[in-house]
Amino acid sequence: MSFVFTKKNTLKIQELKKSYPKKKALILPLLWMVQKQDNFISEAAMKKVADITEQSYIHIYGVVTFYTMFRLNKPEKKIIEVCRTLSCELNGSEDIKAYLDYNYSNEYEILEVECMGACSGAPMCTLNGKYMENVTKEELTRVLK
Amino acid sequence: MIKKIVSKNFDIKDSFKIDVALKNERYSSLASVFEKTPLEITEIITLSGLRGKGGGGASAGCKWSLLDEYSGTKYLVVNADESEPGTFKDRRILSHDPHLLIEGIIATCYAIKSHISYIYVRGEYEEFSDILQIAIDEAYDRDYLGKNAKYLVDIVVHRGAGAYICGEKSALIESLEGNRGYPRLKPNKISPEMFFGDATLVNNVETIASVPYILKNGAKAYRKYGTPDSPGTMLFSVSGNVNTPGIYEVPFGVSMLEYINKLGGGIKGGKKLKAVIPGGASTPVLPADIVKYSSLDYENLRDNGSALGTGGMIVLDEDVCMVKALKNLLRFYHHESCGQCTPCREGTSWSDKILDKFVDKTATQKDLDILRSISISMNGKTICVFAPAASSVIDGFLKHFESEFLECIQ
Repeated sequence: MSFVFTKKNTLKIQELKKSYPKKKALILPLLWMVQKQDNFISEAAMKKVADITEQSYIHIYGVVTFYTMFRLNKPEKKIIEVCRTLSCELNGSEDIKAYLDYNYSNEYEILEVECMGACSGAPMCTLNGKYMENVTKEELTRVLK
Repeated sequence: MIKKIVSKNFDIKDSFKIDVALKNERYSSLASVFEKTPLEITEIITLSGLRGKGGGGASAGCKWSLLDEYSGTKYLVVNADESEPGTFKDRRILSHDPHLLIEGIIATCYAIKSHISYIYVRGEYEEFSDILQIAIDEAYDRDYLGKNAKYLVDIVVHRGAGAYICGEKSALIESLEGNRGYPRLKPNKISPEMFFGDATLVNNVETIASVPYILKNGAKAYRKYGTPDSPGTMLFSVSGNVNTPGIYEVPFGVSMLEYINKLGGGIKGGKKLKAVIPGGASTPVLPADIVKYSSLDYENLRDNGSALGTGGMIVLDEDVCMVKALKNLLRFYHHESCGQCTPCREGTSWSDKILDKFVDKTATQKDLDILRSISISMNGKTICVFAPAASSVIDGFLKHFESEFLECIQ
């Protein structure tokens, strides 16, 4: 299987090259582009990124596996991330996680994440990357129905 | 108590749009900036006493001056990798007043003779970096940025991908260069960061956002607020067991208890205060009896055995189990250690595991001794300050709340 950037993305890459002194700096932006396009990062895509940035495949693989937001596998379900760090825990994140696990784990992949920078809206979670703050079971039931 | 300098436009509707921003003073400092020399600008910032607001608190002006002796391309990197638990102020600037940040970037680039700036935004902040990107596009359209501007500055938003450690400035540069985010060994003398071998200034979002006010009103106007050693204001934030968590900008030196009671709305449910983690998770916890005489400035908190950090307070009420709270934080450090240095990789992992025993009440005296020895082994023996921070967190909890840990020992 090979990986091809869309036409729009190929043009974007040409623009991006002008923004950085070296091609190597394009690695993170390109990996994001791949993940947006395919919803995960395949071996073929990593090879493509390696070609464009003139780096080895293994370097790209090393980068992908360092960052928690990059995915090597296609997610089968939509993702809910529940923040579990202190301010959220103090405001009931454990209950929210348990509630989601019990009611929605068939339709959603429910993950725990570390501080998302929304502590004043604790407990918080994200639904497909979008922030939801001061979440309650009632609100989740309404949104996830 | 509130003094709005950086947060002035936060409550204005659509403040992120350029027309609204222009009506509310954004970009108004630039005319006077370009009348001065870059050196004069740096001097104003040095005189103002502005200190880095990402946690370190180093003098911003001194940091800018470090780039003077370097010729060739220079870079400004804005650190928006805000991930310190309890901290959420930079996000508000990105989403509510991005033009203030852009204005600050233009002035800072002029001062350090740089023509390009990267804003490294944590990956999770996608919605907010999108708002920022729109603001940047608007600024290009109005010729505040780009080749038709009075002073050429290009801004590139660079998305991180989920790594707390990339908030450490050298790790951030590594990440920007397309590497794993491993912090670099520190040079033996104070020097700027190097992005692909060129001198680079790395400053926090709030630091850069404080620049326009100072340049417009002068160093003295900024020093009117705060204390002699911690001048100006800061976007302090409060979360945890309080009634009205949020971001409230106050001058340095304000009483911590007053801040929590008046702005944070007091403790939820009318409970008593037990402790405060004063400046993001990495600063040692302070029990209520020390909080009583603590004030929000670098010197006071240092003298009281903690640190101001990012100014993100996490408030704990009387019912919070300190063993469980420490477990929560150590799990965070375990998860976020980059794994480069052995004392940190192993220390954060084992201390997290040992805490499980305390939570389950199956710990022994030996476990407590091991926890203490891990803390010693993490302090001062690693490349960056991540492990020493984890170590000071453990020490803080054991120093002030040892009895709760002893209760968990069989």
